[in-house]
Amino acid sequence: MRDVRGDSVKRQLAADHGVEIDSVRSIVGFLIASEIDEKQISERVDDIFADPIIEESATNALHLENKELFPQASDMVVTIGFKAGVTDNPGKAALDGFLTIFPDAGADARISTYLTYAFTGVPKGIEVEWLAKQLHNGLIERALYSLSGEPTPEIEYIPVTPSDYAAPATIDLEISDDELLKLSDEGLLALNLEEMQTIQAHYRDPEIRAARAALGLPENAPTDVELECLAQTWSEHCKHKIFAAHIHHVDTETGEDSEIDSLFKTHIMNPTLEMKDEVDWLLSVFHDNSGVIAWDDEWSLCMKAETHNSPSALDPYGGAMTGIVGVNRDILGTGLGARPIANTDVFCFGPPDWEGDLPDNLFHPSRVLRGVHAGVRVGGNESGIPTVNGAIVFDDRYIGKPLVYCGTIGIMPRKLADGRESHEKNPQAGDRVYMVGGRVGYDGIHGATFSSLELTEESPSSAVQIGDPITQKKMLDMILEARDAGLITCITDNGAGGLSSSIGEMAEYTNGCRIDLGKVPLKQEGLSSWEILVSESQERMTVAVSESDVSAFEALATLHEVEATWVADFTDTGQFHVLHGEDTVASLPIEFLHDGVPQLRLESEWKSPELIQFSPPESPSHTPLLMRMLARPNIASKETWVRQYDHEVIAQTAVKPFVGVERDGPGDAGLLAPIHGSTHGLVVSNGISPRYSDIDAGAMAAAAVDEAVRNAVCTGVDLSKVAGLDNFCWPDPIESKKTPDGKFKLAQLVRANRELERICRAYFVPCISGKDSMKNDYGSGENKISIPPTLLFSLFGNHPDVRYTTTSDLKPGESLYLVGESKQELGASELAFMLKESGEAEGIGGEVPQLPEPEKNLASYKALTKAIQSGIVRTAHDCSEGGVAVAIAEMCIGGRCGAAIDVDGPGDADLWGRLWGESLGRILVGVKQENRKEFLAAMKGNPLTYMGETTDGDTLGIWDGDDLVIEANVEEMVSAWKGSLDMTGGVQ
Amino acid sequence: MVQTPKVAVLFGFGINCDRETAAVFELAGAASERVHVNHFVSGERDLSEFQILAVPGGFSFGDHLGSGRLLGNRMRFAMREQLSAFVAAGKPIIGICNGFQVLVKTGLLPGREVPDFEQRASLTLNNSGRYEDRWVTLEFDPDSPCIWTKGITRIECPVRHGEGRFVMPSSTDLDGLDSNNQIVTRYVDPSTEPGKGITDQTLPFPLCPNGSIRNIAGICDPTGLVFGLMPHPEAAYATFLHPHHTRKDVNEEILAEGMQIFRNAVEYAQANL
Repeated sequence: MRDVRGDSVKRQLAADHGVEIDSVRSIVGFLIASEIDEKQISERVDDIFADPIIEESATNALHLENKELFPQASDMVVTIGFKAGVTDNPGKAALDGFLTIFPDAGADARISTYLTYAFTGVPKGIEVEWLAKQLHNGLIERALYSLSGEPTPEIEYIPVTPSDYAAPATIDLEISDDELLKLSDEGLLALNLEEMQTIQAHYRDPEIRAARAALGLPENAPTDVELECLAQTWSEHCKHKIFAAHIHHVDTETGEDSEIDSLFKTHIMNPTLEMKDEVDWLLSVFHDNSGVIAWDDEWSLCMKAETHNSPSALDPYGGAMTGIVGVNRDILGTGLGARPIANTDVFCFGPPDWEGDLPDNLFHPSRVLRGVHAGVRVGGNESGIPTVNGAIVFDDRYIGKPLVYCGTIGIMPRKLADGRESHEKNPQAGDRVYMVGGRVGYDGIHGATFSSLELTEESPSSAVQIGDPITQKKMLDMILEARDAGLITCITDNGAGGLSSSIGEMAEYTNGCRIDLGKVPLKQEGLSSWEILVSESQERMTVAVSESDVSAFEALATLHEVEATWVADFTDTGQFHVLHGEDTVASLPIEFLHDGVPQLRLESEWKSPELIQFSPPESPSHTPLLMRMLARPNIASKETWVRQYDHEVIAQTAVKPFVGVERDGPGDAGLLAPIHGSTHGLVVSNGISPRYSDIDAGAMAAAAVDEAVRNAVCTGVDLSKVAGLDNFCWPDPIESKKTPDGKFKLAQLVRANRELERICRAYFVPCISGKDSMKNDYGSGENKISIPPTLLFSLFGNHPDVRYTTTSDLKPGESLYLVGESKQELGASELAFMLKESGEAEGIGGEVPQLPEPEKNLASYKALTKAIQSGIVRTAHDCSEGGVAVAIAEMCIGGRCGAAIDVDGPGDADLWGRLWGESLGRILVGVKQENRKEFLAAMKGNPLTYMGETTDGDTLGIWDGDDLVIEANVEEMVSAWKGSLDMTGGVQ
Repeated sequence: MVQTPKVAVLFGFGINCDRETAAVFELAGAASERVHVNHFVSGERDLSEFQILAVPGGFSFGDHLGSGRLLGNRMRFAMREQLSAFVAAGKPIIGICNGFQVLVKTGLLPGREVPDFEQRASLTLNNSGRYEDRWVTLEFDPDSPCIWTKGITRIECPVRHGEGRFVMPSSTDLDGLDSNNQIVTRYVDPSTEPGKGITDQTLPFPLCPNGSIRNIAGICDPTGLVFGLMPHPEAAYATFLHPHHTRKDVNEEILAEGMQIFRNAVEYAQANL
């Protein structure tokens, strides 16, 4: 039998490191501790641990020492197991299966898993330590290894050591300002001086002191539980303090000197609320876990995107997996519970072929890519949620911090059987609060505050977790049944800040809660009160249930084998009241907890960056440039990665990530028909263009919105019902010793927000949910790496009928048109970056794509979507990185056919601008000859240029008037486009 | 005679394709109900209430101990009598993807006339070493006793699995299956003429997406009532789900060729149960 697991390791070592090993064999191991004796287990081993048809099994013996299985000694042996306390999903599943066969295994039965790899034919110079390092992450896993002749390492089960329980402590805040700051730093509280002083002042209030005395709490100082709870609730991660800040903004070029009271309120919330007044389909915005829109009379849709950057930097696999399953819970926690039906993922990484230095503690970008991809793949696939759209963007600066954006769309019936509107939560004082799903452990302590700090070598490993999709899936099945049975009055997920945030936020509805930490089921004994309250252990929802529905709710939990524990009650006392058993360990006024954080005051100053202008080489040959552009990681096909995501589960995906004759051309947006038997559709798309920030972050934001909209337009979206999500990832924009250029970075944020508002208003795309991650830096001083300011704009919208749509692949006999106009906009273009990196150009500066008149773009988009919805257009593709030249090449690839186009046309752009410029608002369209007249009539009054025709040949010819400037063979383009990011090392 | 056969579509523990599987049976004229596995395990519900059983795709128990193993065990140990009675009553069972893996690991496939719950085959890691979602072309043995595939020559639908390589201990075992016409469906090269695509020679990736021996995509038991396959015909239920639907003019017809498998079972139940 072939050992596929071993072969995969072999191929990966060859693909990533050029290390060719003759043979890698794998052995799966289980460490079992139970009351069942060895003989009994040995008799049943093929019933559970091994597949009798394909595997060899042994109990209490090492395969490696079995001469029949391993006649030759291996050169090197590496065994990888989890560290104590790290989520071991196979071990958990094995225990479940073990208990099916041996119900009497004992309450303390436990199983952990390990993998052993045996290497033969290892090239000289490869050390076993190096091999082990490639195969495991020391933060969460342990590795044992041996060389030929040495005794085979035997891995031992390491029990989880109980945490050191510390009784709630009183923290004296009557200390100096310096000491307050030191307390915040050393305790990983991530609170600034003013915030610490606000807390200090709270405990000086005589009324507060009197109330505390009555509860038996220390009168004039917080308990550690209270301080931790405030730090979580007031963290940048939870409170978005920078977006809520008061900003003094100066523009040194225009002379503007103005005050902004909250970027969020000014540029995101207010425009959306104004739009809400104009339409009836914005059901719920901003206050829930995701925004909800009415899709039709029966169903509503919601969407949320999150980032999981810091955890993914430390453990790409676990960080990304918890990212995707975490955002799924945001959907499940929307309204009274929505069902996740589609994921999107957008990643920003360092170049996968990076050969430069890597700062300490950072993984090579290729390893980050593999790990993040695997985490999202496992998280999405095992949860049965299709990944329908996404992107991978590369830039050197993401080496310091990868960006991992995970988005999920959900659906729910607008009305439940009992008549309640599903998008509204309605808990009452007296309702019971259950924690449902996983248990609370030491893992995930300080995630929210940690992500609000920059990454350092000391970043805690407890911030890393591995998701458990099956526990979550069971919980999801159960909660959706509970919802439909009308058993839920309120629900939210446990993400950042754990129970302190989830129950704390829900308690605002009834104005109070009482939590008993003593009831919370734990993964390990000995957790202190504050740890139980703030731990971010995964796979947990917090659900409120009326007293009368408690037994039905608990019965459903039993059926689904989901742990649901009554841990709190809603009250109307105005207090966030926490007990641990009999003792009160925290009591905070709900109002102070949620609204007490002082507003930051920040300085912003804009001055355009000084950049070397991009000027193209003098005697170019555009055909080889096209081949090089197609192979650029930012443009090249990501198919080998994306195919590993299930994009079709639920049987609804009408436009898939890859399209065309060989199903390998790029899809612009995802198009879904989520109700089986119906053609009513839903479009999902994304826009991201971080490098434009090098010139102007405002242009970057406008480009992101336009790209998302353009992609959706290509499917024939209904532009009257489209909603957006703004997801900002920024380097720290607060001026400080660590961040001397904070004012500039904040000015970038101001400009991005202003453009976001302007374009969203013009396109009528309300931002209904958003997120920001504001500390995406690594290190300090000269070695500091800050990411380029990045806005991901995600969009979901209505589609009248999924049969009437387009894909990017050319079909035979089509005439080709360009919607929109090419301008001389090559600044920060992919071409400029490529030629600068190769030394053929000096810089990337110049005119960055702008959207001066978005209402004109909208008119074109409306005309085009109408034409698509009438069925006369079956081909459309968005022009983005690499401009018209790359877009038409991709269309030829998808269609496996030739085309002849002429880029000469209206406007002032030169040939470089027309071929490679990235002007916004452009879409290439293919129309069958017989539909030309109707199409032209539909597009009347909008900028439209006839470009050329498809051909029967196998060549793309691009003309500039009479000059043939590009002539490229389609199969060669396919190889260039598909070759550079295929890191699978082959498949056979 | 049942007019509207009742279909039990299993769910729970990481089964993912229960909703669409239930929906396509409804579109094929049946009445489906998603029933949690534990309702049958506890005896609160009984399979005898239903005429058809579907074990959908997904990742039951995360497939951690080998795909389908743990759900297979629950069914093998806790639903043995119900399953035996179901098969003895001549009622059809389908397992799709993870459901196929479950039926193989319970021993219902390739199985015996009377189920003995012995595992005789396995589905293991794809030769590529990775999970993939891609469309394949399937062809069907016209002489197979399988009641699910009558009259179907060739269809296209997606595979979405990491463990789909069908293996048996020896080639004699495979010859036995072949001579019983239990090798119901295989991956074929779409450029061959329909009806002439089947070959024993394993096709290259990606035509045969997993390296399955003799290109086996699905098998049935000797009675032809129990059918399992790795590809997802339910995900090809509609014309607009085909990756090439935009390459043609708009097709007003919604239901597509993937439906036939489900219609066959519904018609079988209507005629025989």
